[in-house]
Amino acid sequence: MSQTGSSSITTLSNPLVSNSQTATHNLARRKTAQTLAFMLIWLSGLIAIAAVVWIIGYVMIQGASIVDLEFLTTRPQGGMDGEGGMSTTIVTTLYLVSLTIAIAAPLGIGAAVYLVEYATEASRESIFIARLISLSRSGVEILAGVPSIIFGLFGFALFVSAMKLKFSLLSAGLSGACLILPVIIRTSEEALLSVPRSLREGSLALGATRWQTIWGVVLPAALPGIITGIVLSIGRIIAETAVFWVTLGGSYRLPKNLLSSGRTMALHVYMLASETRAFERAMGTAAVLIIVIIILNLVINYLSRRLTARATGQR
Amino acid sequence: MRENKNTPSQLYTDAKEVDRPFLLIINNLLITVGSIGLGGYWLFQNQTFWQKIPSTADQFQAWLLFILIVGLGSTLLVGLWKYKNWARTGISFIFLIGLVYFLTNEFFTVATAIFAGNKALKIKELGSIIFTSLVHITTTCSIPLLLLIGLLKFAAFFNEAPAQRRFIDRTVRYFLLATALSAVLIVFLIIIFTISEAMPAIEKIGLENMLLGTIWRPGSATETQTLGQFGLLPMIVGSIYATLGATLLGVPLSIGAAILLAEVAPKPVREVVRPAVELLAGIPSVVYGLFGMVVLAPLVRNFEVPQNTGFGILTASIVLAVMIIPTITNIAEDAIRAVPHNYKEGSLALGATHWQTIYQVILPSARSGLMAAIILGIGRALGETMAVIMVIGNSIAMPAPLDNNLLTLVLSAARTLTGNIAVEINYASGVHRSALFFTGVLLFIMIMSINSIARSLMRERSTQ
Repeated sequence: MSQTGSSSITTLSNPLVSNSQTATHNLARRKTAQTLAFMLIWLSGLIAIAAVVWIIGYVMIQGASIVDLEFLTTRPQGGMDGEGGMSTTIVTTLYLVSLTIAIAAPLGIGAAVYLVEYATEASRESIFIARLISLSRSGVEILAGVPSIIFGLFGFALFVSAMKLKFSLLSAGLSGACLILPVIIRTSEEALLSVPRSLREGSLALGATRWQTIWGVVLPAALPGIITGIVLSIGRIIAETAVFWVTLGGSYRLPKNLLSSGRTMALHVYMLASETRAFERAMGTAAVLIIVIIILNLVINYLSRRLTARATGQR
Repeated sequence: MRENKNTPSQLYTDAKEVDRPFLLIINNLLITVGSIGLGGYWLFQNQTFWQKIPSTADQFQAWLLFILIVGLGSTLLVGLWKYKNWARTGISFIFLIGLVYFLTNEFFTVATAIFAGNKALKIKELGSIIFTSLVHITTTCSIPLLLLIGLLKFAAFFNEAPAQRRFIDRTVRYFLLATALSAVLIVFLIIIFTISEAMPAIEKIGLENMLLGTIWRPGSATETQTLGQFGLLPMIVGSIYATLGATLLGVPLSIGAAILLAEVAPKPVREVVRPAVELLAGIPSVVYGLFGMVVLAPLVRNFEVPQNTGFGILTASIVLAVMIIPTITNIAEDAIRAVPHNYKEGSLALGATHWQTIYQVILPSARSGLMAAIILGIGRALGETMAVIMVIGNSIAMPAPLDNNLLTLVLSAARTLTGNIAVEINYASGVHRSALFFTGVLLFIMIMSINSIARSLMRERSTQ
C-alpha cells in the first residue's frame, strides 16, 4: 500500500510527533478502506440473498393464486392455451425418480464400495486392474463435469434412436441414471471413507469375510451418508430439464408403461412457458417444484446434521 | 446375510432338530406348491399353444422350463429344510421381488385412478379409492411379507459352509469391479456415440464450413443433399458473449459472498447465507428461465432501443450470473478456509487491518482455488441449457449491436451452442441432425478442456 509516500519526509524532520500522526492518519485511511471493502462484501452477500428471496418469493406469490387441490389433481389439457392442472406431471416425476434411482443407486453404490474397499488391494495385485481402477476414477471425474445437454444428446442417440426405445420413461430413466451416477458414486465414497477402520478390523478379526464385513458392518454404518447422496440426486432429477426434453418426449398423458412418453414437472414448466402463453400455470407448477426442492434441501440438512452429530459424539 | 452367529446356530440346530419353526414349514409348503404350480402353468400354457402349431421345439421348451422351475424350487426347498443360508437369501429375494411387484402394480393403478382424470375427484371418491387399494395391498402383500419377516427372524438357525462363503466373497468382488467400470463405460459410450453421429456432418459439410460459417439455415437439407447451411460461428460467439457476461456479473458477487462466508460474517449471518446459496443451487434451471422471461425480460425491455425485445445476451447473462453463484461461492469459500491460520495471524500481528490481511495475504494464497472456482463457474454457464434458451431469444443471426452504440450489443438476441442442440434436436434428421451432434462434440471439447484446467489447478492446491 502507498501509506508511506509523502509522510516519509516529515518523519525525518520530526520523528516523534509526525510518526504518531502518520500512524493515526494511516490507520484511519486503512480503516476507511476496510469499511468500504467490507461494505461491498456485505453488499454481494445481500444481493445473493435478495436474488433467492426475489425469485422464490415471486414464484411462490404468483403460484399461490393458481395452486389448489384441483390444479394438483387434474391432468393438463394440452393444446395451445395450456389449460388444466398438473396431476400427470407429478406422477411422471415420481415414476422417473424411482426408475432412475433404481438403476443408478446399485451401480453407484457398488462402484463406490469397490473403489473404497477393494481398489488399493486389487491394484497392488495386478497392473491391469490398477489401470482399470485409475481409468474408472477419471471416468467419474469426467462424468461429473459433462453438461446435461450432452447426456441428453447421448441418450437421444443411444436409447431413443439406436436401441429404439423411442421417447419413453425407460430411455429418460437410463439417461438420467448416467447423469446422477457420479453424484451417487462420490457421496457414497465419502460416506464409506468416513466409517472408522476399527469397525472393519473388528469384524474381520471375528472371522467374517470381506463381503460379510462390507454388507453387515460398513454399509449400515455408511447408510446415512449414502442416503444423503440419493436424496441429492433425487433433487437433481426433479430439477433436470435438458436431458428429459430430448429423451422423455413430453406427452401430457399419464405413462401407461415403461415405454410410453411423459412429462415431468420441470418439463411442464418449460413447455407451458415456451409453447403456450399460460405463464400463470407455469408459475403454479414452478411453485410446487420449488416447494419440493426446499423440502429435499431440509431433508439433506437434517441428515448431514445427524451425521456430524453422530461423528462427533463417537469421538 | 448376517451369519456371524455361525457356531452357536450349529449347536442349536443339532440339539433342536425337531423344533422346526412353524413359518419355515409354511415356507416349504409354499415353495413346493409355487414351483410345481408355476412349472405346470408353463406346461399347460404351451400345451394350448401346441394345439395350434404342433412342433417338437415348443414341447421341448415347455418341458425344459417345467423341469427348470420345479428343480429350482425343490433345490431351494431342500436348502431351506437343511437350514442353508443360500436358500434363505434366495427365497427372501424372491419374496422381495414379489412384494415390489405387487406394490408397484398397486401404485400404478391408484395413480391412474386419481391423477389421470380431467376433473378433480371428490373427497369421498378419493377415500374409497385409497381404502380399496389399502385392502388390496394388505391382502396381496401380507403373506410374502410375513414369510420374509419370518426368514429374517429365524436368521440364527441358518448357516453356511466356509467354502460357500469364500465363493460368495470372490464373486461379489468381480460384480463390484463391473459396477466400478460403469462410469468409464458411459464416458466411452458418450464419446463414441456423439462422434460417430457427428461424422456424416464433418464429411458432407466440412469442418471449416461449420466452424467458420456464419449462416445457420438447415431448412432444406435432406439425407442426400446438403442444401442447408450449417455455420456454427454465431452460436459459438453467442455462447462466449453470454458466458462472458455471466462471468463479469457473477464472479465479483460470488467471490464477495465467499469472503463474507469465510472471513467477515458472524456465525448467525453465515447460517442464513449458506443455506440460501445452497438453495440457489437447487432451484431448477427452468424456474430461473421462467423468472427471466416473466420478470427480467420486461425490465430489460425498458431500455429504449429499436428492436429491443428484452430477450437477449444481457438477460441471459443476468440469469446465468445468479446460477453460477453457488458453484463459485462454495469452492471459493473452501479455498479461502484452506489457507493456514498462521498466515492470517502473522499478518494481523504485523498491524495489518483485517481487509489488508484478506486482500494481500489470504486471497493471494488461495489463488489457485479461486481460479478453479471461477473456471468451474464458467463451465457451468457454458453448459447451461434450458434457462438460457428461455431468455436469450434464440436468434440464428450473428449477435450485433442494435444501433450505432456498441453497448447495445448486449441487448441483441443470440443463440448458444447448448440452445442450438435443445431447440432443434427433436425434429432434426439427416445431415441437420448430424450437424447438431457436431455442436455437441464442440461443446463437449470446450467444457472438457475448461474442466481439466480447473482440475489441474485444484490438484496444484492440494499438493501445496
